[in-house]
Amino acid sequence: MIVIQNLVKRYGAFTAVDGVSLETKSGEIHGFLGPNGAGKTTAIRMVAGLLQPTAGSIEVNGHDLAAEPEAAKRSLGFIPDRPFIYEKLTAGEFLRFHAGLYGIDGDGVDARVAEMLGLFELTPWKEELIEAFSHGMKQRLVMCAAFLHRPQAVLVDEPMVGLDPRGAKLIKQVFRTMADRGVAILMSTHTLEVAQEMCDRISIIVKGRIIAHGTVDELRQMAASTDDSGALGPDDTHLTSVFLKLTGGSGLQEIDEVV
Amino acid sequence: MRSSSTTAAAPGPGSGVAFLYLLLPSYWSSRNRARRRERGDSLRLALFGSVGLAVMGALFGGSFWVTLQLDQCAELGDFLLRLGLSWLFLTLLSFLAFSGIVTDLSTFFLSDDLRLLLAAPIDKARLFYSRFLRTLGQSSWMVVVFLCPVLTGVGVARCAPATFYLTAGLTVLPFAVIPVALGSGITLALVNLFPARRARDILMLMSLLFAASIVLLLRYIQPERLLRVESLPDVTAFFTTLQSPITPLLPSFWAGETLFASLQGGYDWLHGGALWTTALGLTVLLRAANDRWYFSGFSKAQEARKTSFTRLAVLDRLARLLPVSTVPRTLLVKDLRVFLRDVTQWSQLLLLCALVLVYLYNFRVLDLDRIPYMRGVVRNIYAFLNLGLAGLVMSTVCVRFVFPAVSAEGAAFWIIRTAPIKLRDFLWSKFWTAVFPVFLLTEILTVAGNELLGIDPFLKVVTAGAIAFMTVALVGLAAGLGARYPRFDADNATQVSGSYGGVMFMIVAVFYVLVTIALIGWPSSVYLMSTVRQVSLSAGQPLAMGACFLTGMTLSIATGWVGMRSGVRALNDMGR
Repeated sequence: MIVIQNLVKRYGAFTAVDGVSLETKSGEIHGFLGPNGAGKTTAIRMVAGLLQPTAGSIEVNGHDLAAEPEAAKRSLGFIPDRPFIYEKLTAGEFLRFHAGLYGIDGDGVDARVAEMLGLFELTPWKEELIEAFSHGMKQRLVMCAAFLHRPQAVLVDEPMVGLDPRGAKLIKQVFRTMADRGVAILMSTHTLEVAQEMCDRISIIVKGRIIAHGTVDELRQMAASTDDSGALGPDDTHLTSVFLKLTGGSGLQEIDEVV
Repeated sequence: MRSSSTTAAAPGPGSGVAFLYLLLPSYWSSRNRARRRERGDSLRLALFGSVGLAVMGALFGGSFWVTLQLDQCAELGDFLLRLGLSWLFLTLLSFLAFSGIVTDLSTFFLSDDLRLLLAAPIDKARLFYSRFLRTLGQSSWMVVVFLCPVLTGVGVARCAPATFYLTAGLTVLPFAVIPVALGSGITLALVNLFPARRARDILMLMSLLFAASIVLLLRYIQPERLLRVESLPDVTAFFTTLQSPITPLLPSFWAGETLFASLQGGYDWLHGGALWTTALGLTVLLRAANDRWYFSGFSKAQEARKTSFTRLAVLDRLARLLPVSTVPRTLLVKDLRVFLRDVTQWSQLLLLCALVLVYLYNFRVLDLDRIPYMRGVVRNIYAFLNLGLAGLVMSTVCVRFVFPAVSAEGAAFWIIRTAPIKLRDFLWSKFWTAVFPVFLLTEILTVAGNELLGIDPFLKVVTAGAIAFMTVALVGLAAGLGARYPRFDADNATQVSGSYGGVMFMIVAVFYVLVTIALIGWPSSVYLMSTVRQVSLSAGQPLAMGACFLTGMTLSIATGWVGMRSGVRALNDMGR
């Protein structure tokens, strides 16, 4: 479970995250949506322990991140948007290293590593250097690492970037299965179809503040209420039009002029 | 639809210096970097500026003084100056060739912007000239900066005419082009010869060659011969033996001759012409070779999905024998594995080994008994010079290998920061990984050097102990300051070592080494004097000696500890 309360992050006079509160329950996939520069990644990085909040609190599986950072991180898996990993290690070595960081040692490690590589279809690459991997393969390897220590909560920043359709489908299945097993997943994404398909609940962040929160149906109703006509348009079954309506403006320009 | 006025209008090959256009991004990047104001900029500028000015002043003063001394030796002085210029340029020649190879590999084959440029409709010649100019600039700027004060010192000492300085500029340019072009040619050949993406392996090969050439060059000069008293009257003959039949065929000789002629107020058209024609000829040849083989080389450099590497499974087995918990063992194995698999990292150890061998060999061949000054107590005091040099070697090793340890995590540092480990444990693991190899290297250097010098047993123990404490201090300081001033975006460890934090470390390290030597030097000299004069120490002397040793030890431990503490604090403050 991830509980965020009144999270604030300021850079000088600029407030990147402004009083964000949300809760991701066990077994839930929580989508974190917002336009570019809205503060999604900043918020995610604070929950991952990479950035220190200016104010507010973060609790991961009952552990306060500020007071018990090791305990909180031990029960959390993190998948960043860009999979930077040690290029000079093999996939197997990287996962064993990751296990060691989480204090996992002994005979069971190799079996768990093999299991994760198999799950993310990377077994043939176990003994290859990571520098030879494509972006998508690195992304899947980072996911292997994130689930390796059996976390009770997982934090994902843009999971589908660089994945081919097969990889994307695989990841969706894995996330769903993990959530069904009780893992809380907080996922930031730009891919609204993915959010619509996978997320149990969604929070939309604009200019550092959560402006809408709920299931897809609840968000659709909110979007309808902001419309002057008060009615749902024919396109409003899709999250894209709901998102654009809630975040203000179509975001589209006169394509003809540009082209 | 609105019509567009932004049609592709890149300058064609016939537009003169169109290749300069391709250098604009480098220029703009440098300009933007210079414009960006960051915390500590003024301090950095003052620090680098004063160190740079001091070094340039020392170079100017040194060359001025040497030239003045030579001037007093009439014809012999002229001869030695000519020879000196030729040797100076010969040394720079090998440096430039090596630098050219390494820089060429980066600018022509590994740069990220190459994919953009090669995908664009750019003429081969434009790409070649822009990249070659960049290679030339990057690999030779240091030589130019070094030569400016040196040649000015020579010119001022000899009251050279203004044409000397103009000739110097016109000599250094083609002189730099020749070895860089040759280095680029070698890289082009190697990149084409290697079957897959082994570009970094080429660097290893080059490092080996460079290390071997340093050793050979130093042995070729045989500097110890200068210290033989009986050989001093025959110094002319000695220098003549340094000449070989191929010397007049080298660009270094041409450069030396051209500059010497212009010092006398004339111009050596033959050697000046040889420099320019060779430089231009090599550039044309290199361009032709690039036209023919560049793309195939670049293409090969992109290939290879799978690279061969050493498994290093033994590391896991050895690490299991260590009495440490899982996390430090995991970090240790990872660090060693990454280091040993990165050719650019460990190949520099070869250079270091070559230099250490030369260092020790010098002690062996120095015939100290033949030099009157090197007898008795002075021989023992020489041991402190050895200790000082070992301290400087240790500082250099630390700034090159320990200081970049945190930065080496690079963009993957998120893995450590999101893991359930304390950053303090992470930094201490870096300390422990480095402390033993650094200690072993410098201890061997000191003990072996002292054995070869044949110093007093008391001093052997003192200097051996001092190395242990210096290791703790310098490794702690390097790891700590490396964490305080990390450069996660650096392309390589050398860039990290040369950063603001690296320079800061070197300044503090040199200061620390000097203070430590002073602290243990005084009590040791008191002891030695009492032994030589066969007088017993006064009542307070043992106490003062003990206090000095104790202060040295305390200073060492405090330096290491403060460095580490500052590093841990900086790591914990990241993301604030």
